[in-house]
Amino acid sequence: MSIPSFLLRRSGSLLLVLLVTSFVVFGLMYLAPGSPLSFVLGPRGGTPDQIARVTEQYHLDDPFFLRYFAWLGDIVRGNLGESIVYRQSVTDLIGSRIGTTVALIALSTIIIAVVGIGLGLLASLKGGWTDQVVTTLATLGLATPTFVIGVALISVFAVGLGWFPTNGSGSGGFDTILHLTLPAIALAVASAAYLARITRAAVLEEEGREHVQTAVARGLKPAIIIRRHVLRNALIPITTVLGLTVATLIAGAVIVESVFALDGLGSLLVRAILQRDFAVVQAVILVLVVAFVIINAIVDFLYTMIDPRIQLGSKQ
Amino acid sequence: MSTHSTRKRRSLTLAGAAVAAALTLTACAGGGAGGAAGAQGGGLDVDLSNLATTTEPGTQPVDVVNWNLPYEPLSIDPWFSFNYAENTVIANMCESLMRMNPDLSTSPGLAESVATPDDTTYVYTLRDGVTFWDGTPLTPADVVYSLGRQVGPETPSYYNEYFLSVESVEQTGDREVTVKLKQPDALFEQAMSVAAGAIVQKAAAEAAGEQFGTPQGGMQCTGPFALDAWKAGKSIDLVKNENYWDAELAPKVEKLSFSFIADESTAINALRSGDVDGQFFYLPPTGLGQLESSDAVTTTYGKSFVFWTLASATEEGPFSDPRVREALLQSIDRQAVADVVFQGAAIAAPTLAGPDYWGDRADIFEPAWSEFSAKSDPAKAKELLGEVGDLSKPITIAIQGSSAVHEQTANLLQAAGQAVGLTIETKVVPVEQYGNLYFDPEARKGIDAFFTTWYGNVTDPLDVYQVFTEGGMSNFGNYTEVSDLISQARAELDPTARAELTNEIQAKVTEDLPWMPLNYMPTILVQNDRISGATASVAYLYYPWAATIGGVE
Repeated sequence: MSIPSFLLRRSGSLLLVLLVTSFVVFGLMYLAPGSPLSFVLGPRGGTPDQIARVTEQYHLDDPFFLRYFAWLGDIVRGNLGESIVYRQSVTDLIGSRIGTTVALIALSTIIIAVVGIGLGLLASLKGGWTDQVVTTLATLGLATPTFVIGVALISVFAVGLGWFPTNGSGSGGFDTILHLTLPAIALAVASAAYLARITRAAVLEEEGREHVQTAVARGLKPAIIIRRHVLRNALIPITTVLGLTVATLIAGAVIVESVFALDGLGSLLVRAILQRDFAVVQAVILVLVVAFVIINAIVDFLYTMIDPRIQLGSKQ
Repeated sequence: MSTHSTRKRRSLTLAGAAVAAALTLTACAGGGAGGAAGAQGGGLDVDLSNLATTTEPGTQPVDVVNWNLPYEPLSIDPWFSFNYAENTVIANMCESLMRMNPDLSTSPGLAESVATPDDTTYVYTLRDGVTFWDGTPLTPADVVYSLGRQVGPETPSYYNEYFLSVESVEQTGDREVTVKLKQPDALFEQAMSVAAGAIVQKAAAEAAGEQFGTPQGGMQCTGPFALDAWKAGKSIDLVKNENYWDAELAPKVEKLSFSFIADESTAINALRSGDVDGQFFYLPPTGLGQLESSDAVTTTYGKSFVFWTLASATEEGPFSDPRVREALLQSIDRQAVADVVFQGAAIAAPTLAGPDYWGDRADIFEPAWSEFSAKSDPAKAKELLGEVGDLSKPITIAIQGSSAVHEQTANLLQAAGQAVGLTIETKVVPVEQYGNLYFDPEARKGIDAFFTTWYGNVTDPLDVYQVFTEGGMSNFGNYTEVSDLISQARAELDPTARAELTNEIQAKVTEDLPWMPLNYMPTILVQNDRISGATASVAYLYYPWAATIGGVE
């Protein structure tokens, strides 16, 4: 399949997924009890007059389909809507937070890729006690809750040693990297541990395959065997897992965001769900779905580069 | 005027004592012996007579002070404030006609004087030479706009209850604004010293429309700090207002930057590491001990209007019976709640409105207040319940999700209630939906009572008790016994006579317990040792508390 038709097909399925997701999410939000009223009325509530005015203003009493299609109409016109709770346009709310999320996820991805693949290779190639240590570390990393890792990192590196700031996302450039290092590590630990195990298993499997054994028997240099025959083939499962992990990190960063007081999309989404802030929930979900689809498309592209036999968009 | 109650507590001993108290209480309750035992366990660490109002003003200029808020404000427009984070920021930017001072007294603010030719007319003469941050002068039109927009049944203002009696707000001179009331209302005049009386620039507010007070719409006021930027999700940055009219409150801090660390343990780590220079806590944070033992920060306990109470929310069921409410209150040891739940940083409350509300009428309020005791009396509780008879129906208390304070207090109540024969059940409401309990009768369905940290805005106990007005929006259980008295007291402009009426209301409310007084919560101010001078009392919600902050050599 050519690249344009691949993109076209992906865009089509993206639109379909977006439509279905938005409908399901809107429906679930509608069915859940509670309302965003308390955030508009203030901490002491409001008079019946005030309640009526706000309900009218935000169409809170309109029937489900009316509200859904009104929202859909706005989206088609490129308007993501207004947050009831923050009295701001959703575009502004997301715009000011997406940078933090992207930087955090990017930094985490690098850590996951480098540490995960590195440790996995180390374990599978060296074997012996190195393998034991890495496997134990990976189990530990998978088992320790992100929250605990975050708090421990803050205690040791921020409060104790004073190397990193305790919270916030910094003012851009190097400052942001400094601020996001600890959160990115906390976010990366579990995924890196998982990737290390996947890498280890994939490499071990490839090592046992016939073409590798043939290469060894023919006396090729170990470095070449590993690079050309083992790693290249093992990269397929590794890329798949990495792609999926990164996509889930976006929404999964909530805990890290809360521990390090970062305001990213994850915490915005969770808060908006609990506050019943429809427009914000919908918009963040849309962003997540788009990100997920894009990451998957990138992974598909990578497949064709790793293994030219795989066709773009094929079912293989 | 600066009374200090800064002290380093022995946190370990205290924590141990608190645990011991909790165990004693539960054990006693379980054995049916009553809840009085745990009282002496924690000891009173914060005593009523010694709460601070200010901290030693720092003398050196400071470039940046980083202050933390417990959450990001939803708006910085004064009429949408009425909450801790919002008011903490607004207090430094927007000034009111009158000013609430750190000692909770009132003095002229943007109005240099106020005249009351008759009981329903207030004539405010504006101070000369006051300018907004953009340099334009403060005019009566701005005052008429700022007050006028809060009048009427449709106004979205969170302070609308203070404007119920207002008939008109008009400009009556070059520097004069006249407010006419439909009937005399003492609370209106007092509310002009809080954010209800805050003055914003009309032109800026109209230009920004609905966006006013949001990160996009900005703000335009007259206070000692001007809004520089609100970076949504990250920070609110204020800068020193070079042309501030009040030389005594000219800031020594160039830039005041607010962060929004909601997670308590992160906030405490940020304070200990110096990433954040200070924070106000309205409830003691879980890591209070860590702050007390840190040599980087100083913790100060200040006068406060905040109290911890269990508000009844129903007109039906066992809890609508005042005898059941009194029995429950008599069974619980409020000192133990202070020690166990609030780590000793709270005071057992005999009434809802504590001594910090008294102002200059303490001579009238104190004797009446002293008649009430916060001591528990399980024997009396049993006696009362004996009169009631049928106790088979459980009492359901709503508690806020993921709040240790709610959960622990509910646990103590359950244990204490069980000891005298009351069955108490809890229903967890997520924090984001808890606010619905305050205005939505649907949300209160099946709930007999819920916890709240409440506060009145002004230095008058009447401001607390006025919630029991018939049909009032916070009169959850529709308690009507004192409604007439409240109307009388609000219309009584003589402070002494009003204080006497308020005492009558207090007596009735404390007997019937529509809301159960549990604890008074002092303001907890934490400052890094490199700075000092923040206001220590609850006036920080309305007074420019950061204007007195300076560096310590």
